[in-house]
Formats: sequence, structure tokens, C-alpha cells
Amino acid sequence: MADTSKPATRKAAIVGGNRIPFARSNSAYAQASNQDMLTATIDGLVARFGLQDKQLGEVVAGAVLKHARDFNLTRESVLGSKLSATTPAYDVQQACGTGLEAAILVANKIALGQIESGIAGGVDTTSDAPLAVSDDLRRVLISLNNAKTVQDRLKALAKIRPGMIAPEIPRNAEPRTGLAMGDHAAITAKEWEIGREEQDELAVRSHHNMAAAYDRGFFDDLVTPFLGLSRDNNLRPDSSLEKLSTLKPVFGKGDPAATMTAGNSTPLTDGASTVLLASDEWAAENGLPVLAHLVDAQTAAVDYVHGGEGLLMAPVYAMPVMLARNGLTLQDFDYYEIHEAFASTVLATMKAWEDPAFCKGKLGLDSPLGPIDRSKLNVNGSSLAAGHPFAATGGRIVAQLAKMLHEKGPGSRGLISICAAGGQGVVAILES
Amino acid sequence: MAVTVLDQAPNLGQLYAKAAVTARGRGGDLPDTRLARHGVQVDPAHLAAYARVCGMPLSDVLPATYPHMLTFPLQMALMSDRSFPLALPGLVHVRNRIEVLRAVRAHEPLDLEVWAENLAAHRSGAVVDLRATVSAGGEEVWRSTSSYLARGATAPDGAPQADVEVSVGGLERVVATWRVPDDAGRRYAKVSGDVNPIHLSGLTAKAFGFKRAIAHGMWVKARVLGALAGRLPDAVTVDVRFTKPLFLPSTVTLATEQHDGGWDVAVRNEKSGTEHVVGTVRPL
Repeated sequence: MADTSKPATRKAAIVGGNRIPFARSNSAYAQASNQDMLTATIDGLVARFGLQDKQLGEVVAGAVLKHARDFNLTRESVLGSKLSATTPAYDVQQACGTGLEAAILVANKIALGQIESGIAGGVDTTSDAPLAVSDDLRRVLISLNNAKTVQDRLKALAKIRPGMIAPEIPRNAEPRTGLAMGDHAAITAKEWEIGREEQDELAVRSHHNMAAAYDRGFFDDLVTPFLGLSRDNNLRPDSSLEKLSTLKPVFGKGDPAATMTAGNSTPLTDGASTVLLASDEWAAENGLPVLAHLVDAQTAAVDYVHGGEGLLMAPVYAMPVMLARNGLTLQDFDYYEIHEAFASTVLATMKAWEDPAFCKGKLGLDSPLGPIDRSKLNVNGSSLAAGHPFAATGGRIVAQLAKMLHEKGPGSRGLISICAAGGQGVVAILES
Repeated sequence: MAVTVLDQAPNLGQLYAKAAVTARGRGGDLPDTRLARHGVQVDPAHLAAYARVCGMPLSDVLPATYPHMLTFPLQMALMSDRSFPLALPGLVHVRNRIEVLRAVRAHEPLDLEVWAENLAAHRSGAVVDLRATVSAGGEEVWRSTSSYLARGATAPDGAPQADVEVSVGGLERVVATWRVPDDAGRRYAKVSGDVNPIHLSGLTAKAFGFKRAIAHGMWVKARVLGALAGRLPDAVTVDVRFTKPLFLPSTVTLATEQHDGGWDVAVRNEKSGTEHVVGTVRPL
């Protein structure tokens, strides 16, 4: 008898993507809000695929650094875009995993037949970042707001002290550990004995790969200029080992053997990205291409607070689960996109997959996942070159990889691995 | 032993003042009295303020350290009374052991009782244990032992040796870094009522021989438990040794290590490594 409990599913197609060039914090996009950037990015996608006034199944996006007023950021962006105003939208947030998680959510609804098309995206600004009043001042202002009489209001106002006025600026630090993400990564780099030179090499390769990809026009149908920028302004085509080797460590300070510099770590960045997903039927009906399909995805989390695991090591745990479910090995892929939060993170991730003791003890595997062919890794550059607007990175990678697989030809496979704050990780498989 | 039942919490500011003017000429044995309060209700607003200051989650269950907020004023009343043999100014909290026998809910009426016992000899003075027990519906739910060192004081002849050490593992893994601001003492004083001048400002601390204001040990202990939120058994023993003063402001680190279904913990200065608090957390 047929199993009727499991609904029939289909694989969601990736039609294409659009992003704006990424900009270093407080540069080209200093005056742009998350909503400005996300709206512009959606409109770029609309223009590219002729979606004007179309009602799509859903738009799913998010931002990591978010103003209180942006509670409905994605829906507001849709309303301001050229899409039909009857396109529903919702926000998600999974730190640096946001963009990829949004794509997984849209793909899953398509897979279940609940929607035929959708946009996944992400946006972040560290320039137009939300400042919060101090907790003390906030409490006084709330009681002021609740006060009914003039006397009560005066009483509330009298509680304000000069020291309360200083705003709280969001920090790229883990709330539970008080450590910057880079300092967490530095601990992992030390544990896995990741050297300075291999990190710098990875960073240089990222810049060179991305510069070459821009030069041959690879990004022409992935990126739309915004506010005078047509390329990521963090990109250094002339980056070299000599230059990077002069930089002083910025994370893991106090350790004479510290290795992580501003050159082999991603800078704070502003930007947005979107991906158009659909059923094969919808794409065909609308005369749109199918670059690849989102085959499967997996998340994992680690106890980086008291459990002794590195903050950014969760993708290492997610990977074997997803590979086993799909009957694949780590070597069965044509391209690997490992998000370069820090060069050391990419290197530690690969080292862990190659380590028999770690794979047995921590991942419960009889044999290690093994090495990755480096010539297939981040071949068109990754976050060290482009920059890393937290929630926008997933969309950049999905669109970029889908295009690479399409160029490679049918049956080619790509793997995505993204680490996120809070000790989380998201991995996914694309196939053309 | 006589039990005196108070109908409200004593005012700690007044007790410090009284203890200061009656500090001289103390000595002899511990008083044979107990102080008690019955049917005490936790003030939800106070619980919220306490949780906020200590970095603990606010819930309907009292944090392990919270009943100390209720029993400490009674212990202060006992220690500031003329019959108490040690002078309160200069007493140093060196160890605190709390046993939570079961989760205590915030709305439960609580019966408190405190007393002093075990006046013991220490190489630099005398140590006394301030005990507290908290009951709900006639069943003991919480108890604590706070050990105070009186430098230069002498324990009576034949007194046992004080035991104030807590042994912990190597604790090499730092799990959190905290910037402790210079008003940390004033903030905790505001919710705890513990207005001991050594915590309030550099100036008042200097008057008692400290180069700067120092953090309340019980605040540090509470913050450690806050960092372990969600990973603590309902019935638990938390035993900590307050080693070196934590001068304000400071940046300190928390190290944890799993042991016997619980934790060993250490709070140290980030730069110098000076140990402020070491302790053990174990299921009861």
C-alpha cells in the first residue's frame, strides 16, 4: 500500500538572484536604511525577471541588526517595491544564517506545494544601526509615558541622571560570553592550530577570485548598482600576502601568537541580497530559467558557552547529518561555498572534517568526512572579499552558486556552509 | 534557645550605624538567640529588580540566592546587637553555602529563621557562621551558611579550626567576560539593602582600608548562577569561597567545568588572574 502520510514533494528551483554591491560600514550606504536597501534589491530582482505587479507566493527576508520600527521590515519593503501589494511577506532572523534559512523556508513551501514562487532575502546595515537608550533611561521614559498626572510626570523626569543619556551601541559580541565573535573565532583558530599564513592565503585568494569573476562579467546578472556603487567596495583586486602580512592581529589580543587580522576577517558591511525561487512549472509558465534546485538543508547548534565547542563550529555538525540523508560524501560536489566569516573559520571547519578523532568523538563517524578539493572552494570569492552584511550573505551565496552550477551543467552539485552567532550553523545542497 | 519573631524586615542602614557606634568592647560567646519572620511574601517588583541587577532570568521560581535577600537583614540584626561578640565593621564574607532543597515559587509564604553558630579559630582571626533556614508550609525548602571572618579577633579557648576553603578543578575554560562597572556596588546595594560602605564608593571604601570600592560577593555569586541559568538542578547546593576582593570597576572572567552532574566555577580578574570567587554547584 502506498504511504499516504507523507505529502508528495518537489524540489524548489532557483531562478536567479539579485543583490546590491556590498559596502563597508559608514561608506557608500551610510545614509541608507535596511528598508531602503531591501526594497532596492527586490526591485532589481523584479526588473531582472519581469515581476512587475506580479503577486508572488511569499517574500521571506530578515535583518540581524533591526530597528524596533522595522518589525515588519520585509512586508514594508514589498509594499514599497514594484511587486504586487498583495504579495505576503514575513521576517526571519537566524543571525548570519538568516539569508540561507529564508531560502530554505521559501523552498520548503514550494516543495510542499503551498506556494509556486517566492523571494528569499536578507539585509543588514551596520551604519544605520539601531541605537538603544540605556536600560535605566528606558525605564524612566516608560514610567514617564505611563504617568497620568503632571506631578507623576515630574517625579519620573526627576529620576533621569546624566549618566543615563549615553546610548547603547550594538556590539558584535555574544550576549552570554561578552566576547566579540572574532575573539571566539580566535579561540577556535588556536585550538585547531590554524596559522597566520594559511589564513592570509585564503583571504588573498578570495579577493583575487572575486575580482576575476567581476572582470569576466560573472556578476553582471547577479548585482545591480546602488547609490553609486557597482562593485563591492571591500574588494581589493591587488591584495597580496605581502600586504596582508603587515597587519597586526585584532582578535585574540594579548596572545603573542594571535593570527586574526582585519585582512583575514570580514569587516562590518552594509548590503542586501535576494533570490527568486519557484516550482519548475511556474518558472516555465513565466519563461524563466531554472539555474539549480535546492535539494536539502540542515541546521545544527553547539554549546559554545559551557560545552567547550567553538562558537562557529555548528556547520561542522550539520554537514554529516545532511550528507547521510542524501547518500552523499563530502567529495561528491563540484563547488563548495564555505562562508568566510573569518579565514580561520573556513580552515578550522575543513580541518575538523579531516580529523579522524574529532569525526569519531564529536560527530560519531567511523571515518572522517575527509578533505575538500581546494580548487573547488569559493571559486568566485566569498565574504572576505565581498564583505558580510550578516543577513545578506546567504542570498549572495545561493544565487552565486546556483549560477555556477548552471554554467557547469546538469547534474553538477554544490554545497553551502554558513556559521552563525549563537553557536548555530546552516548547510544546504544545490544541484543543477 | 530563644526565638524572637519580627513582624518586618529590619532597616539595614540603621543597623550598620548602630553596629558602628557599638563596635568597641565586644567579646565572649555567641548569643543564644534566633531571629525569625513568619509568612513573608516576596515582592514581585523587588524580585524583578534583583533579577535585573544580577543578570538572572525573571521567573516564578526564586533564584537560589534570592532567599538570602530575606534572611540577610535578620542576620544583620543579630550581628549588630550588643550581645554579638564580633564587631560588624570589618567583618569579611569569606564563604557562602546555599542549599535549595526544592524549587521555591515566588508566591509561597515563607518562614525565615536565622542564628549564629560555630565561632572558630582562623589564622588571621575568628570565623563565625551565620545560618539561615527558610520553610514553606512547615517544610524546610532552603538553607544557607554565611561564614564571616573578623580579622584580629580571637575565638574562645578550645574553639575548632575554621573551614572556609572550597576546592575546585583547574578551571581553564573561560566561558564569559564581564565588565563590572564602578556603580555595580551601588546598584546591588539598592536592591539588597546591603549598604556596607565598602561597596558604595571609593571614598567610603578607603575609610575601611580598601583602595577602591569592592563588589558584593553575593552579587558575584548570583551573576555566576545567572550564567548557568537553565543548567541548574532544582535541588542544588551552591558553595562558594570569596577569595580576593573584586575592585570596581574591573573586567573579570567566568570559568566553568562540569563535575558530578554540576559545575565548578571561578571568577577571576581578566588581566591579573586574581581569583575573586571559586565555587561548586552540585545537585542535592
